[in-house]
Amino acid sequence: MSHKACAELSVGVLQMIVSAYRKKQNLNKIPKRMAICLLVIVNAILFVTGNVAAQGVSTGNLHRIEMYAEKQHPDYEYMAYRMLRHEVTNSAGITSDITSRYSTTAIIPGPTIIMDEGDVAEITLYSSIPNPDKIDLYESVSLHVHGVHYDIVSDGTLKYINLFQDEGATLVQSYTYRWNAAVGTAGTWPYHDHNMNTHNGAEDKGLFGALIVNPVSKTVEINQGGSIQSVSLSSIEKDYVLYILDDAFVGTVIDSQTGQQTSVWANPALTAQAGSNVRFHLIALGTNFHQFKLPGYSWPDAVTQTLIEEKAIGPLEKHVVAVQAGTSTVYMDGTFAGIAQNMTGSFNVTP
Amino acid sequence: MKPTIFDLPMKTVLALWMLIAVCIPNFVMAATHNIHLSAQTLPNGQYAFKMLSHTSSEGTTPTYASEATIPGPTVFVKQGDVLNVTLTNNTPLKVGLTPVSLEVSPGDTQSFTYTATEVGTFPYYDKDSHLVGLFGALVVDRADGAVDSFIDEAGNIVSTKRADLDKEFVMFMIGSTFWGAEIVNNSEIPLWTNPTLGAVQDELVRFHILSLGPGHTWHLHAHRWPDRNSKEMIDVKMLQDGVDSHTFTIKAGSGVGTGYWQYHCHLFSHMEAGMAGKFHVVAAGESGASIAGASPSGKIFLNPFTDDPGLVTFEITDEPGRWFRSIRSNLLSPVTKTHSLEVIPPGGSVHFIMSDTNAVHTITTLLWPSDANDPNHGDHRVIPFSQTKAYKGGAILKLDVPGLYVFTCRIHPYMFGAVIVDDPATEGLDLGESIDIVTGINGLPTSSDLATRLLRTFFVATVQENWQDFTSSKAWHPTYPSVAVRISGGAVVNLKDVLEARYGQDVKLASLFKPTTPGVGEVWINTQFEKTAGKTKPGTITVLDATNWTIKRKIALPQINMNHPHNMWSNRDQSVIFQTQWFDDKLTFINREDGSLINNIQIGNTPSHVVTIPTNDDITVAINGENGVRIIPAGTMTPQPMIMTQLPGQTAAGPHGHWVTADGKLVVTPNVITSDIGLYDTDSGEIVARTPSGGTFPAEPHPLAVGVGIDKVYTTNLLDHSMNVTSLDGTLLKTINLIADYDPISPTGPDTVKDRDGDGLATVGVLPIQTPVDPTGRVVVTANTGGSITIIDTQLDKVVAMLPCDPGCHGVNFGAKQGGGYYAYVTSKFSNQLIIVDVDLNNPANSSIAGRISLVADNSVPKDDSVVGLAGMGGQGIYAIPNIYNGWVQQLPDNWKGGLTAAQLNPVP
Repeated sequence: MSHKACAELSVGVLQMIVSAYRKKQNLNKIPKRMAICLLVIVNAILFVTGNVAAQGVSTGNLHRIEMYAEKQHPDYEYMAYRMLRHEVTNSAGITSDITSRYSTTAIIPGPTIIMDEGDVAEITLYSSIPNPDKIDLYESVSLHVHGVHYDIVSDGTLKYINLFQDEGATLVQSYTYRWNAAVGTAGTWPYHDHNMNTHNGAEDKGLFGALIVNPVSKTVEINQGGSIQSVSLSSIEKDYVLYILDDAFVGTVIDSQTGQQTSVWANPALTAQAGSNVRFHLIALGTNFHQFKLPGYSWPDAVTQTLIEEKAIGPLEKHVVAVQAGTSTVYMDGTFAGIAQNMTGSFNVTP
Repeated sequence: MKPTIFDLPMKTVLALWMLIAVCIPNFVMAATHNIHLSAQTLPNGQYAFKMLSHTSSEGTTPTYASEATIPGPTVFVKQGDVLNVTLTNNTPLKVGLTPVSLEVSPGDTQSFTYTATEVGTFPYYDKDSHLVGLFGALVVDRADGAVDSFIDEAGNIVSTKRADLDKEFVMFMIGSTFWGAEIVNNSEIPLWTNPTLGAVQDELVRFHILSLGPGHTWHLHAHRWPDRNSKEMIDVKMLQDGVDSHTFTIKAGSGVGTGYWQYHCHLFSHMEAGMAGKFHVVAAGESGASIAGASPSGKIFLNPFTDDPGLVTFEITDEPGRWFRSIRSNLLSPVTKTHSLEVIPPGGSVHFIMSDTNAVHTITTLLWPSDANDPNHGDHRVIPFSQTKAYKGGAILKLDVPGLYVFTCRIHPYMFGAVIVDDPATEGLDLGESIDIVTGINGLPTSSDLATRLLRTFFVATVQENWQDFTSSKAWHPTYPSVAVRISGGAVVNLKDVLEARYGQDVKLASLFKPTTPGVGEVWINTQFEKTAGKTKPGTITVLDATNWTIKRKIALPQINMNHPHNMWSNRDQSVIFQTQWFDDKLTFINREDGSLINNIQIGNTPSHVVTIPTNDDITVAINGENGVRIIPAGTMTPQPMIMTQLPGQTAAGPHGHWVTADGKLVVTPNVITSDIGLYDTDSGEIVARTPSGGTFPAEPHPLAVGVGIDKVYTTNLLDHSMNVTSLDGTLLKTINLIADYDPISPTGPDTVKDRDGDGLATVGVLPIQTPVDPTGRVVVTANTGGSITIIDTQLDKVVAMLPCDPGCHGVNFGAKQGGGYYAYVTSKFSNQLIIVDVDLNNPANSSIAGRISLVADNSVPKDDSVVGLAGMGGQGIYAIPNIYNGWVQQLPDNWKGGLTAAQLNPVP
């Protein structure tokens, strides 16, 4: 069957799928021949998109980032990442410095790095972590990122694990990673240390942050008026990055219009304008499982394409809650341990 | 009537024909499988399934391993297939195959038929023994062969079929270990524990991740895949507690290239416990073979006939003494005289699985050969081995350096498991030249008194038969293994001979006697190891009538399977006893009058001690396995959020034996995990102070209990053998070294204990635990696990007397003595007597043992369950009724005040 014939058929099939979905009917009822045709078409579309995307990689933005891993006081149990410089060069070769969007001090979670699908980042990490326990100039701290493409030298692990080399910054040497946010890597992803102290790293000691890769489509699915709507990414007013630790939420608020990031620390009170679109970027870290709830709200689940009211989330899983701010409520972890530890914060919506 | 097609009208036949035509894909593909599995015992004592035969109506069936494997054989079928399964049980256990209801007795064979209706990957497993190996995977594929789509390097989501796959991995996440197998070319190869999975760049690889028991998150570096065939890309997937699975397809190295990419569980505790392996992606043209990990069939002591890396397995249990139970201990114990010792060659692995416990634990090296963490010889990234906080799961580690390793739990520090890594080329079992201890003692010769004293402690603590029975007329005769061991200087000695020569044998136990002066009220004692018929978990409460020193009642609470009752307190009117279950997550409310159960509530992991706030009668419970003190408002049984023992994100403190100040303003906690003394405001929940504890040794002092006097806090440091004295604002006033008179380094001799600090006394408090201050604030009585009771005069803040105690000396609490003054009641874990100390408040150095009472009940004592073992053993928490501590005694109802003297009613005038 030719692609053209398929294309004609496919319009009808797509309509059927939409109608079947709406009626919650079984998609298996689509005649088999049409389904095969649909597969051909979808594959063809994907193939074409793939090519476009592949070109997109070469024309995406280039991010040049420098970050520090540091301990603000030698007695602190915590360590944290600090943004030193973030410059973005677009496909036209124009470079803009967006460093001012970030806190000038080390924060937990670390700086939220935002890229577009197709972008590449070169991230140089420096370490200034004093290590009174081990007088060792070569104690390594790293950035191990999830989700995006990188080759083995950018894994951010020790030679103990990658059998190649220690991939981290020490007190005497920086380390540069290259992250390729290739098409297909859109989403919210964690980055964290993998090297400090042991081969497991010090991710449990504050060395973690989030990477948001915006989709090529520049859209986001959101609950508006009780149904799943695809809206423009530019309609998002605020992004709340909330790491769910074993005992607390810890967060950063991003003004999505300006990109300005504000560290709001543990179980923060979050605010939004009524009617505005906001997102919670949830990443768990530690050993506990969590049950995220935002009473009074439901949001699209990307996997099931249904509206959900709570979400189970385990360490280093990620989940994005996109809602239109309506009434004030709280966000919370509904597990036994979450309630015992009072893991909750307010979500204040102002008219 | 049986109508045939020929009887039917043509219309019906046509309709049927069409129906069949529509369903053809299913009908054509549906197959019948005849599968014969057996359950086997592996050389290390674990259990596993083995494929005896598999035939299919389709013809070809996979090639399976010729041995029993963990995971068991992976059975691939298609939706609609019928499985005729036969199970032959060659193990000594009853074995079933969940999800079908089946129970096959040892030696028997049973069959069942199962229709694979649902697409997916499912575990089959025995409901009781799955954590120790009896599990495998059933993969039910779609009839059309379609499997999960993968995402390629350009971001295309590509649908694929099973026939397109180059290989499949089955990875079970069990405890804190991966158990793997690979299927290539319709042939299954066992990969055992934490294998290196191999693949050639761009090969299509399907992963089946399955989990039984406590949950996990699966993470594979540098790869991403559609979550359940959706558009949502993930690289971490949670497997929920219980039974869960996740299947996905990747293109190896897609967009990222070759390399050793780590896979691991992303629960931090499990990462610390060793739950990781490598996914090795090689370039085209290279071998993508996988490398199997340590195996239960590999080389270990008594199974030397292979060169495959071996694995021994300890089950973590709630069984007293056998908290670390080698799963083949019935085989080893005739020689080792304990169920908690294993022997492996260098390069062997040790596997721990929390398969028989309701508690959270850590798996922590207490001591190890000095060169085990030397970067030049050993593995300093693995030894010392521990986890930051307590958790559910297990652990795995490889040991290369010969010598003695002892593991413990940081939450329950009398749980011991030992591993001797024995170089077969040397004579005797290698204990190593010297050991390092977790407290920072390095290079301790294995010939030293401390080393052999710890070994003796190990053989007393882990062997129920070695506990002291004060109801027996026989002398105490602990048994030790009569084996040659190699110690410092390469000397080869007999372990039993050394221990008996150093610490004696057939020691006559002290006689029991009642104090001449009665006490007031009742003494409630947690006989935490006593076993009763009606429950699988140990522990009773022994209620002693202090007025006549007879046992009034035994409370086992079989209806809730009460598990390791550890510590108690009561409400103001002394009518309700609050009981913690230390190897569980429960707080139990008991009617004091009749011993009946009032309620049993979930309170948090591993609750240790319970104390009320004297000013408002709220209940405070230290959540030892977590990070706070749970509050239950007076008169309710509904827990409120915790007073957190640390700031958000900080290491969970693991508070154990806490106390509340007499004015009700402060909770004082010994923070076991973070090694500090915490002071918390009971109103605001704020941290007032956290004072580092210890002082004798550099690390891990392990503060376990506090006593609060009028204006001072006394904190015992178990592993530091010391006592910190701090003020109520957290200022450190003094550190008392309880082993100042002890020489741990030299071999045992007459001078091992002598007056070294020049105070005219030779006193030793090894491994101190409970340490209350008497109600007047004058005397601190400390139970030292090493077998002594030390008395501190708070006017001097020094040890002024030492009294003998039993092995595992543990609990102390004060009760009123009739006519005035106080008794300190002292329990020991590894004996069945209560020691009663008559405390001399005028001259604390004159305090003496006033009586010894058996905790074994005769038939006349009322009980809610019959005692079947370890009678009276496991003495830990003590609570005297009425509560005569300053702050509480003033709140007693009048009927209880009546039995007390004016001084007892106002202990701090």
